[in-house]
Order: sequence, then C-alpha cells, then structure tokens
Amino acid sequence: MIDCDIHVQIGDREQFLAFVEPGQREWFRSQGPLLGTPGYTWVHPTGFMRDELEAGPGGTPASTPELVCRELIDPYGVDVGLLTADDGIAVSVMASPYRAAAYARAHNDWMRDVWLDADPRFRGTIIVPAQDPRAAADEIRRVADDSRFAAVLLCGGAERPYGEPRYLPLFEAAAECGLPVAIHSGAEGLGISTTAGGVGLPSFYIEWHTLGSGCSIMTHLVSLLCHGAFDRFPDLNLLLMEGGLGWLPGVLWRLDTNWRGLRSEVPWLDRRPSEVVAERVRFTTQPLEHTDGADELLFAMLEAVGAPGILCFSSDHPHWDYDDPRQMLRRLPADWRPGIMHDNAAALLRARPVVA
Amino acid sequence: MRAAGERWHDGGGCTDLERDGRLIARISGREIGVLLDRATGDVHAVRNRCPHHGAPICLGAVRERSAGAPGRYELDGRRVLHCPWHGWEFDLESGRCPEDGSMRVAVYPVRLEAGRVLVRTSA
Repeated sequence: MIDCDIHVQIGDREQFLAFVEPGQREWFRSQGPLLGTPGYTWVHPTGFMRDELEAGPGGTPASTPELVCRELIDPYGVDVGLLTADDGIAVSVMASPYRAAAYARAHNDWMRDVWLDADPRFRGTIIVPAQDPRAAADEIRRVADDSRFAAVLLCGGAERPYGEPRYLPLFEAAAECGLPVAIHSGAEGLGISTTAGGVGLPSFYIEWHTLGSGCSIMTHLVSLLCHGAFDRFPDLNLLLMEGGLGWLPGVLWRLDTNWRGLRSEVPWLDRRPSEVVAERVRFTTQPLEHTDGADELLFAMLEAVGAPGILCFSSDHPHWDYDDPRQMLRRLPADWRPGIMHDNAAALLRARPVVA
Repeated sequence: MRAAGERWHDGGGCTDLERDGRLIARISGREIGVLLDRATGDVHAVRNRCPHHGAPICLGAVRERSAGAPGRYELDGRRVLHCPWHGWEFDLESGRCPEDGSMRVAVYPVRLEAGRVLVRTSA
C-alpha cells in the first residue's frame, strides 16, 4: 500500500530551528508556534489532530518517525508513505520571499535528515517558496538529487493560479528533475494569497472544509490545463491533494464543453482537457465524499473521468478527517483496489524507486 | 462522378450574395446557407442547422482557425464557420468540428453560373 498524504509535524521546534540558516534562526524562533507561516483566520472547533494519537515532542502527534511508524506505517502495512508538510505548506504565501526560502530549505533538510533517514518506507515532498518561482526552482534542483524526494509540494493558497507564466521556472525545474508537482489544499486566503472562490474569507472552518479546499484545487487544475502546462512540459505530472473528488466530473465536463466553444482563447489546446487529466493528473482520495449510501453513483461519475486510474490513496494522518486504509479498502470496488491503493501512485512516482 | 439522384438547385442571385455575404435558401426540404468568404473569395454551401444545438449556423462568422504553442497566437490557414450559439467551429471544407469528430454539419458543392448560385444536393 502507498499512502500519499502523511502530514509530519514539527514537535521539537529547536530541532527544526537547527536546520534554519544562522542569520535567520532568531527571527523564526521569535514567531511563535507557526514559525512565521501564516495562521488561519478561523479555528477548527475541536482541533486539527486526531485526539486519540499519542502526543510526541511539544505535545504534538505524528511528530517523530517512531510515532508515525507505530501508529500508521506498521499496523496498516504501508509500503511507502509520502510525507507532506503541515503548517509548512503555507510557506509560499509568507509575505517575505526570503523568509519563505529559508523556511523551505530548513524544512527540506529537516525532512531528509530526521524523517527520510529514519525509515526506508518514507518518501519526501519538497516545499518551495512559490512566491519567488526562480528561488523555488533553485530549491527543487538543490534537493532533487536525493531520490527519496518524490514530489514538489505546493499549497492551494496562491497569489495567482499556478498556470500563470510567472510560475514556469518552478514547473520547469520539477519536470526536469522528474518530479510530479503536488498541490495540497490549504492556506487559501492566508498571507499574500487570495481567497479561494473569489468572494472573500469564510467565517467558519466548516465552510472552508466544504468549499475552500476544493475551490483552490479546481482553480489550479483548470489554470494549468488552459495555459498548456502539460504541452510545455511533456514530463510534467500533477498530484492534486485533499481537494475532494465529487466536483471533478462536473468541472471537466464544463471545461471540455467550453474548450469546444472558446478554444480560440487557448488555441494551443489541441485535445480535450479531460484527456490530458486522465494521462497526467492524479488525485488523492482523502477526504472521499461520504455519500449517504450512494457510493455507486460517486464511483460511476468518477469512472467517467478516468477512475480508478486517476486516484491514489491517502490517509491524511494525523488529521481529524483521516481516511482509514482498511475502511477505504472496504468501500472501493474490488477491481479498483490494486490501482488506488498502490499501482497508480507507484507509476506517478516512477522516477523515484518505490519499495513495494 | 455524380451519385444517382443528385442535382443542382438555384440558391439565389450572385448579386445578393456579393452584397450580403450570405444567402439562405430552402432546397429539397432543407435550409441551406451559401456563404461568401470575403477573405478568400471562396463560396461555401452549408446546411443551416448546427448539429450541436440546432442553431442557424450560417448566421455565424467565417474566420481562420487559430492555433499556436502555449502563450502564442497564430493562424493555421483553415477556414471555419463559427456557430453563433456556443461558439463551436466547423471546418468549411469537411463540415467537421475539429474538437469533436462526432459532430459534422452537411456541406454541399456549390458553383456560380450566369449570375446564379447553384447548390448540388442528393435530391
């Protein structure tokens, strides 16, 4: 089994700060628990983490490799776990691109030394200062030689949709290094980002969790398709994370239809956008929509846009809305399980050897 | 070689076509538009019904199809009819929608003779 979204936590702040360059370390130390990354304007009503997990350093669950192995990797037989940042995904909406670059460098080195060195089943994601795409490209190239890094990780919150030409250096570097770009929902409306959906900040976490997380992912997907990112970079692959799935058929049907009528605006698109998605874009499953008994309807709609080939399992450990691997196995159609639980992610991360 | 049952029909006057850029005629029970492509001087006869939603497609614009690499706008030389409803394009030579091979508008041979526009249909 491959779990594509395991959020590793910074519990021991001093351990992390040791990876920050000396000239900026004190600034990060003075920024409080989020270490300078922007905080949400709403608060989760009961906490972002699963209550029952063991607290590690700093009272934080999933903050050491031993905890993640004991609570997820070992008991569920996870062959490969793709480790993702938590608060750190918001690095690219920090106001200062210089602080952001320092944070990203520290996080990637911390990921490598503390996590990837600890267990051969871990694969890393590279966070980058996307607000400065050239610096982001430099960071990808600096880190990518270590084949245990399996993807570049961006957050949903951004100044502009990621298809914009300003982001080309970032995507070029990822493609050149054979790394898929993962975009994980989060940080919409934080820091220098704009709000997902274009109508301002939501009042409640429930609103963001219902819409905000999906809106940013939809926006980046449509942007990258319309700007022809996959034509520019034949080696570019995309992994869209935690943005929901139920909307996908509707958005792709709309985009395919609009492409027929409005293609003179994007005349470089020479085939249906949904075909490009089926080939080059993958989606993590969590949180798979609860359907009140209508799973067959959900799966039929997803099949129309390429499922099961486009889906990769993710648990979102250790967050409150975690999808349990065994529960997911029970839910999925039997013939979808091998692809979603392993094969699709193994193919996506093909440039990086995956231990099965 | 001409298929059995095909024949030429009078679709209107060349003067009207030159003045308006298009003629709409009822031929063999079908509404057919004759379009003058002023950029090339070519004349096309097209069934006046879009296969997508049934629009009077011959009231749309004739233009050159755009192309290009990402971020670049070029013209590819193909002349297309742009449907006034929803904007789907149809190749004026083949009648096919380049974006959807299942969509095709009927096109007919056309010629100008003695001041008249003649359209050939199967009946």
